[in-house]
Amino acid sequence: MEDEKRIGVYVCWCGTNIAKMVDVELVAKEVATLPDVVIAKDYKYMCSDPGQDLIIQDIKEHKLNRIVVSACSPRIHELTFRKALQNAGLNPYMFEMANIREHVSWVHEDRGDATKKAKALIAAAINRVKWHESLDKRTVDINPSTLIIGGGISGLSTAIEIADAGKKVFLIEKSGNLGGQVAKIDLTFPYMDSARQLIDPKIEKARKHPNIEVFLNTVIDEVFGYIGNFETKFEQDGKEVELKFGSVIVASGLKPFDPGSIEGYGYGKLPNVVTSLEFEEMLKSGEILTKEGKEPKNIAIVHCVGSRNLDYHEYCSRTCCMVALKFANQIKSAIPDANVYDLYADMRAFGKGCEEFYTQTSSKEVMFLMFDQQEDLPKIKKADSKDNCDMLIDVNEKLSGEAVEVPADMVVLMVGVEAQENAKEIAHAVGVSMCGNDFYIERHPKLDPVATTTDGVYVVGGCQSPKDIPDSISQAKAAASRILATINFGSVEVEVTTAVVNEDICCGCQTCVSVCPYTAISYDEEKNVSVVNEILCKGCGTCGSACPTGAIRSRHFTDQQILSQIEGLLSTSKELQEV
Amino acid sequence: MSTRVNPNLLKEIKKYGASDDWNACFHCGNCTAVCSLTEERILFPRKEIRLLQLGLEDKLATSVEPWICYYCGDCSETCPRDANPGELMMSVRRWLTAKYDWTGLSGLFYKSLPALIIAFVLVAIGVLTIGFVNNFDHEAIMHFGHRMELFLILGVFTLILVPNILRMFYFTVIKAKVNAPFGSYFAAIGSLIWNMFTQVKSLKCDKHTVRWLEHFLVVVGYLGLLVITVFLDWFGTENQIIIYLGYITGGLVFVFTFLLMISRFGKSKELNKFSQPTDWFFIVWLFLMGFTAFLVRLFMDTGLLENNFWLYMVHLMVLAQWGILLVPFGKWTHFLYRSFAISFANLKKAALNVKLATAA
Repeated sequence: MEDEKRIGVYVCWCGTNIAKMVDVELVAKEVATLPDVVIAKDYKYMCSDPGQDLIIQDIKEHKLNRIVVSACSPRIHELTFRKALQNAGLNPYMFEMANIREHVSWVHEDRGDATKKAKALIAAAINRVKWHESLDKRTVDINPSTLIIGGGISGLSTAIEIADAGKKVFLIEKSGNLGGQVAKIDLTFPYMDSARQLIDPKIEKARKHPNIEVFLNTVIDEVFGYIGNFETKFEQDGKEVELKFGSVIVASGLKPFDPGSIEGYGYGKLPNVVTSLEFEEMLKSGEILTKEGKEPKNIAIVHCVGSRNLDYHEYCSRTCCMVALKFANQIKSAIPDANVYDLYADMRAFGKGCEEFYTQTSSKEVMFLMFDQQEDLPKIKKADSKDNCDMLIDVNEKLSGEAVEVPADMVVLMVGVEAQENAKEIAHAVGVSMCGNDFYIERHPKLDPVATTTDGVYVVGGCQSPKDIPDSISQAKAAASRILATINFGSVEVEVTTAVVNEDICCGCQTCVSVCPYTAISYDEEKNVSVVNEILCKGCGTCGSACPTGAIRSRHFTDQQILSQIEGLLSTSKELQEV
Repeated sequence: MSTRVNPNLLKEIKKYGASDDWNACFHCGNCTAVCSLTEERILFPRKEIRLLQLGLEDKLATSVEPWICYYCGDCSETCPRDANPGELMMSVRRWLTAKYDWTGLSGLFYKSLPALIIAFVLVAIGVLTIGFVNNFDHEAIMHFGHRMELFLILGVFTLILVPNILRMFYFTVIKAKVNAPFGSYFAAIGSLIWNMFTQVKSLKCDKHTVRWLEHFLVVVGYLGLLVITVFLDWFGTENQIIIYLGYITGGLVFVFTFLLMISRFGKSKELNKFSQPTDWFFIVWLFLMGFTAFLVRLFMDTGLLENNFWLYMVHLMVLAQWGILLVPFGKWTHFLYRSFAISFANLKKAALNVKLATAA
């Protein structure tokens, strides 16, 4: 390591974003006088090509060996500047960023105070960067096999896609059958194709495919390892099965909402109130009959059951509106003289062919009634004998403003969907995060919709959010293509800002083993020390702070670096106190 | 108290000419927004479309709003879903006509073209029989014809029109629970007479000046011809002024009905796009009535009638069909219902004002 520390500091204007609240020119002038700072400059846009060239030029000209850029959040441009350092021949980790936009100019109203705070943050960054060390990137090889959790249409689609490319797939299904929810439905919207014709060939193909190994009635408790090198163990037919794979796809799907909790709908009490899935069963059997075995003359369909209501689920379940229209069509063809009442809250007909499907259905003598799905749900009650029907539904109809009564011999509740019961366990087993509704979180909702924050683990289909078949398959195939690309490349770069154990100081207490959220630390009994798996380690620093002896050190987050940073911050405290 | 929905009401209204277009309606309310005649508390057509879709028959039967519409067609032109609210309102008016008619014949004729044709044929046979019974004696038949006109006017008025107007009052005011203050009835009667003879409200529809003038001239011609033939005995008089007035009014009727027929045939305007058989019967018979009356008097004045008495028989037939079938059970009544509706709507507004005032 070089003896002399030669630091370059660059203060960004970010157009007027920073410059309007921080006196960037003054800040640059003042920090230039701090020890070890060789040069300090301000510039309109540091992230622009000329801005980066400025740094590269100065590194070469002034033999700088450490760089501080004070600009926006490191989440946005840390990688940009690290790359610039690399281009200038410096190690990319000899760099520190001070965030004077999100943390300063955007949140302060006094220019003088903001300027002082910016200076303090830069001073801290300068003090920190003095203790930065060169770190080298590492790569790991990729195991070309893939584990897929869930044998519904998403899991099957991904499995077939990867297997057809010649790579091995392990398909895990917790139930005794493949096919998931799609196997439970009769026809699909909006083209009224048979669901069976979609799913059966996929099931058949997956079963017979030489590259797909199917494990039914199987639940995965724990997946160990890291991108490219995962493994799991489970029991099947009394035998221990051990699988090794490079990528994981979670396609665990969703389950229907239980409408028993909505009192006014009488599900479970009124025998002819059925869920949409129970109605699918009737359609599949070819007979729509009430519990008394009679053909219903009045059938009501109720939308948004458990969806779009703060008492149940706030989100839209996405498919129920179109399934309801599908039911209306199917009822009209099965019992042409039946009256169909469609009680909806808002008709959501986005998606290819769906608005057309709505228009076409609305011309079929289906009566649409609008209700308020938050404040004023319809109430289903048993009818009197003089009412000439089995049940009556009270609706405050929104479009007419009238309180009306709908006769019904059968009520179909369009139940929403929710996360699987074991969603949490799966999330824990593979290391994905969940949002408030227990659906899995993708890495980026728009730009990275199938990856997760755990490298090598992908989420597809209904387990990520309510989805229809086309969207599930799109995601499934997207994930397959991501995995095949990784397999094709053969190896992957991993983070190097990991924890390291100083074996001389480690006392083998295993505190770090118990706190590590990534199961990256194991215990070496022979040496009586902890061992960090550097590929599993995310460098979160939890172990470092828990270690009672100071034996664990987080690279790029060493005690020295952090304490110096604080020291730098406090060096301007006199000025800050005046704020 | 909630009202039971009824999907069959739509099927019923469809028999009165409504197409399936209304299905497309998603209640954006553009139709009501562009309508020149709808106003606060007298809202249409969106509200009526909804009542119809839900089959709230009582609410629809007691609403006066459909009669306020003069069918300019703006709503149908503006409708983003091509749901054709204008035509639906027209069909509702036909249905209401049948509702008000205690005999049930209006509904029968609207719904069944064969029934209407059979009725026309029966009336024609009746007229021929009368001719036969009288040995086609010119004098006797013309005397009969004149008497028939008088009795028809009296009979239709007392037996059909007055009871039906009372029924309309029952539906739209009493059953609809319109508690209008007593004074508002006087104002309503005033507006009734003014509106009945001018139909001036239709001028509010933007494109209606020419149509209003055409209709006004037809009405002037029709009422003039009625007075001149029935009360001034056009076919019997020697008074030159009456004879010329007869020619003028008869001419007005058939010339302007001819123009209206052409426009209906051309379907150039929104309101002419969906003609029902009853619409055609109405206008063609009005034309024939003016035209044959005109010819009869012309033949008389030129001495041709003696050898062409069939012409009078044709005129009598047209007249009988018009008076017995089209006036009491057809579109003619719209003229009355519209005028009364404006007054009933005023009662409704007055009642709501009182209600809001007491609530405040």
